[in-house]
Amino acid sequence: MDTVKELYAYRQMIFSLVKKDLRGRYKGSVLGFLWTFINPLFQLIVYTMVFKFILKTSIERYYLYLFVALIPWIFFSSAITVGAASVVAQKDLVKKIYFPRMVIPISYVTSCFVNMLLCFIVVFAVVIFTGVGVNFLALLTLPVIMVVEYILALGMALLTSAVTVYFRDLEHILGIVSMAWMYMTPIMYDKSIVPDRFLPIFNINPMTHVIECYRSVLYSKEIPDLTSLLSALSLGVLFLLIGCLVFNKLQRHFAEEL
Amino acid sequence: MERNETAIEVNNITKHFKVYPDKGAQLKERLLFRKRSRFEIREVLKGISFDVKKGEAVGLIGHNGCGKSTTLKLLTRIMYPDSGTIAMHGRVSSLIELGAGFHPDMSGRENIYTNAAIFGLTKKEIDARLNDIVEFSELREFIDNPVRTYSSGMYMRLAFSVAINVDADILLIDEILAVGDTNFQTKCFNRLRELKASGITIIIVTHDLSTIEKFCDRAIWLNDGLIVKEGRSPEVVDAYFNFMNHKRIEADMAKQEEKAAEEAAVPEEVPESPAEETEEKPAEEDNGGIDYSANRFGLKYIEITKARMIGDSGKDGRIFRAGEKVTIEMDYKVNTPLDEYIFGFGFYTLEGECLYGNNTQLDRMTVKTDKTSGTVAVDVLGLPLLAGKYVLNVAVVDNNGTPMDFYRNYCDFEVVSDDRSTGYFSIPHNWRITK
Repeated sequence: MDTVKELYAYRQMIFSLVKKDLRGRYKGSVLGFLWTFINPLFQLIVYTMVFKFILKTSIERYYLYLFVALIPWIFFSSAITVGAASVVAQKDLVKKIYFPRMVIPISYVTSCFVNMLLCFIVVFAVVIFTGVGVNFLALLTLPVIMVVEYILALGMALLTSAVTVYFRDLEHILGIVSMAWMYMTPIMYDKSIVPDRFLPIFNINPMTHVIECYRSVLYSKEIPDLTSLLSALSLGVLFLLIGCLVFNKLQRHFAEEL
Repeated sequence: MERNETAIEVNNITKHFKVYPDKGAQLKERLLFRKRSRFEIREVLKGISFDVKKGEAVGLIGHNGCGKSTTLKLLTRIMYPDSGTIAMHGRVSSLIELGAGFHPDMSGRENIYTNAAIFGLTKKEIDARLNDIVEFSELREFIDNPVRTYSSGMYMRLAFSVAINVDADILLIDEILAVGDTNFQTKCFNRLRELKASGITIIIVTHDLSTIEKFCDRAIWLNDGLIVKEGRSPEVVDAYFNFMNHKRIEADMAKQEEKAAEEAAVPEEVPESPAEETEEKPAEEDNGGIDYSANRFGLKYIEITKARMIGDSGKDGRIFRAGEKVTIEMDYKVNTPLDEYIFGFGFYTLEGECLYGNNTQLDRMTVKTDKTSGTVAVDVLGLPLLAGKYVLNVAVVDNNGTPMDFYRNYCDFEVVSDDRSTGYFSIPHNWRITK
């Protein structure tokens, strides 16, 4: 609990790191902040082409089906891959000055989260301009889903960022893991086509539930399945606890290992 | 605020570092070279305990690698001790790494916010201090310029101003006072005094002993990861100073012995080379031929073949403790016998200023000898010089004062002293307040 209190005291540092990260990310590039939107849009175009026109998926409005899942996924995957390197990236600070070390992964995850929120502007624009429309009641659950995903991402980032300090390969391994994870999560296809024997894997994957919740709110305009949301939440909390525990244990020797 | 409250309790802390001669943090290296990643353990702190009271200023001293900076890092919680406990009561601010997180492209003002945030201040708290910080840094006109346009002095001033305005209860300082110009340093010191007076606990690590003496109530001297002495700062500083002097003498002695051993191994070569050099020019055998500007000059009817300075160690040395009995021995060789000889010696500064000179004639002593070689010695009963480097000058002249062999710069020697007076000589004295 002391950790929480201390983190609260250092909230300004988190804000300022998030700000610095968001401002600095596309510094010097011509399109600057627009890259936040361009990147996912092009991914969307590529996947839509492949799945709609080559694999000929039968899903209606596939671009939207994919888009509402892809944006949250990009947040999650960048939170674990970029988050993993976060402590190492800030080693000058870690070695020289005291602050609760968790501030670093928290700010990275938060900055990725803010990026996702910005992308959601585009999601909503698409939803409205294509005439799909929204279900306002369902929309109310959206923040809850986002928070659940944030908890999950933070738990992962705490874990990976701490381990990366001692084991630098993890950063690269995570690139592969996150790609595999993406295909093991029903983002580009529907869970219904998954063979039964693989279902347990999908069910234990918290991102399956998170993505399905997003999809029911924004694509099917329904209130998400509560059990799905709850299982995502409980897995998220579990991840966060493990992440905190491991991080707290490992952070004691950060300054020496960096 | 109670003066007797404890601000810092350090209880028997130890810390070791693993030193990998060749560290592989990658998987491949870890697997392939399992055996190679053996490490040495370097124990930096071997169990130290101390308490610091609220409002006290304590200095940590010790030579490089004694563990004082590690102690400070443990106090700031950048690192954690392997065993033992540290309790800090109150908000800690450290002036260890100034300007942490400064971003060169951001303005001074923005950097104040970032930097202060790293110290754990909220926006509101920073807003309240912004004026003081800017005022203290004397950078008001530049505060909205990007930090990359600052000079390094301005940069440090800004960083220091933030750190010192954090309103900590405990302030940890590592070698700070190289900040800005003299004026700004004075300002920093005054500010630190104010903070101290207001009941803030301060810990300073520095090599500058005078800072410790001036500023700290107490000093802790660390050596090899253990506390050697702890107490009122002048006493500890003196003890440390003495210790360092002794250490230096020992180190220099060892070096000299090594050198002597080397020279002994290559016999008959270097030691008497100056003599040989001059002997190769025997043409200047008449009075008019003396070159008084040379390092060594004279008619060579009698020569000083070698001189030695022998201190308490009983060996020829070049480093002495003040107050030590030093015997200067001069070996001579007679080429053309004279009735009488006058031997002399002198101490000079490196700049060539004479500090003291004496000879057998001045002391009303007559040296007559019919031997062709021998040794004359003079005992300096208590070397009265202050710490520093000096030059020894030895000479032999005839009874008219005509130089026979005059070594202007026979050798340099060093004196170490606990006397911190200025000048060259140690004069016994005593201060009293008479009224």
